[in-house]
Amino acid sequence: MYKNKKKGIIGIVITILILILLVIFTNTNGNQMSYIENICNVFVMPIQNGITYLKNKISGNDSFFADMDSLKQENDELRKKNSELEQSLRELEIIKAENETLKEYVNLKDKYKDYTTLPADIINRDISNYSSTVVINVGSKDGIEKNMTVIADNGLVGHIISVTDNTAQVQTIVDTASAVTSKISTTEDTIVVQGTLDDKTKLKATFIPTDAVVLQGDSVETSGIGGIYPKGIHIGTIEEVINTNNPTDRYAMVKAAVDFTKLNTVLVITNSGK
Amino acid sequence: MRKVVAILLLVLSFFIIYFIQSNFFTWFTIAGIQPNIFVIYILFIGLFAGKKIGIILGVIFGFYIDLVIGRQIGISGIMLGLIGLIGEILDKNFSKESRFTIMLMMATCTVIYELGCYLFNVVTLDVNLEIISFIKILILETIYNLIITIIIYPLMQNLGHLLEETFKAKKILTRYF
Repeated sequence: MYKNKKKGIIGIVITILILILLVIFTNTNGNQMSYIENICNVFVMPIQNGITYLKNKISGNDSFFADMDSLKQENDELRKKNSELEQSLRELEIIKAENETLKEYVNLKDKYKDYTTLPADIINRDISNYSSTVVINVGSKDGIEKNMTVIADNGLVGHIISVTDNTAQVQTIVDTASAVTSKISTTEDTIVVQGTLDDKTKLKATFIPTDAVVLQGDSVETSGIGGIYPKGIHIGTIEEVINTNNPTDRYAMVKAAVDFTKLNTVLVITNSGK
Repeated sequence: MRKVVAILLLVLSFFIIYFIQSNFFTWFTIAGIQPNIFVIYILFIGLFAGKKIGIILGVIFGFYIDLVIGRQIGISGIMLGLIGLIGEILDKNFSKESRFTIMLMMATCTVIYELGCYLFNVVTLDVNLEIISFIKILILETIYNLIITIIIYPLMQNLGHLLEETFKAKKILTRYF
């Protein structure tokens, strides 16, 4: 019985470790070797430090520990100073974060000065793996209405799909149910970009005219057709064009301009002048 | 009185789980895929507290999730209610004393829940059916749910038996005596 219990606990600990490793490895990009090196160091360094200490003792190189009292006093003073510095650092970090948010708002306002906008923060994200909606902290009390366009510093985020008094739900353009009529800015060809399940950073561009020349790196922006999004808001850039046997079926993958995983601040266009 | 306290604790636990799911698991993901701990929670209630409590709490919690973050009100409520019902059916037919059977139940319920929600989305929101991508996500999500189940299994057993004593005590007596 005791053995079984012990085995169970070991099993759980191993499972937790596997889970943490899985999460870390699948979400870390590149630089994994230095990461492994760090982990290896964790195991090796304490032993290495111990060996060095013993080596110093044996070779008589232990004068470092001679004046223990003065070292203790010095250590206390340094600790005190350190806590003071940590406190001021924390205060500075708070001020820095506030400053960053305000800067973001100002940048966004400048960029989209033709529109009347309202800044908002993302307070909740979709818990499903099959859709991409977010909740923002402004609602009908702030003048938010259904179908208003939501943008960020780099481009289009999505549109409002439901509103409560103090919050609003935004369907992002990477959501699988989203379809935005847009155009390739260089050729003015109209296309439709849709969210996919595969990758939440990319969009699938379909209904590409057969005579359209679509090139990698072409910019995609809203066309103004469809009644929700105003014209000329940047969506992303063409990353790959996939040609099929039937030219009407060809499609392109568009890299979204907005990084939805790091998105925290948005602007709601309250008067787009559509 | 004991039942009321138990239900209140279940409701409180739901909110804790809600915050864990919407804050922690939105970044603690496996290849960008998050688990669904609501399925684990409702199956746990269905298994140990019985179908009545499982269905009622499943429906209420599901509707709450739909109201707060969902796009269409109803589907999570229906599917979580169904998981509550499945919990009771599985309890009658299989032993929940084995970690393996609990894991199988969890995998089945995750697949049923996600399949139901996805197909409902495809039909009502006119979403393109992406079968391969859906299966990939579903497999990862199921694995993630299984890992969590393995970790919390001892806790599930201990709390589950307390829940069973509260809600099913009379039934056990009539069954065996």
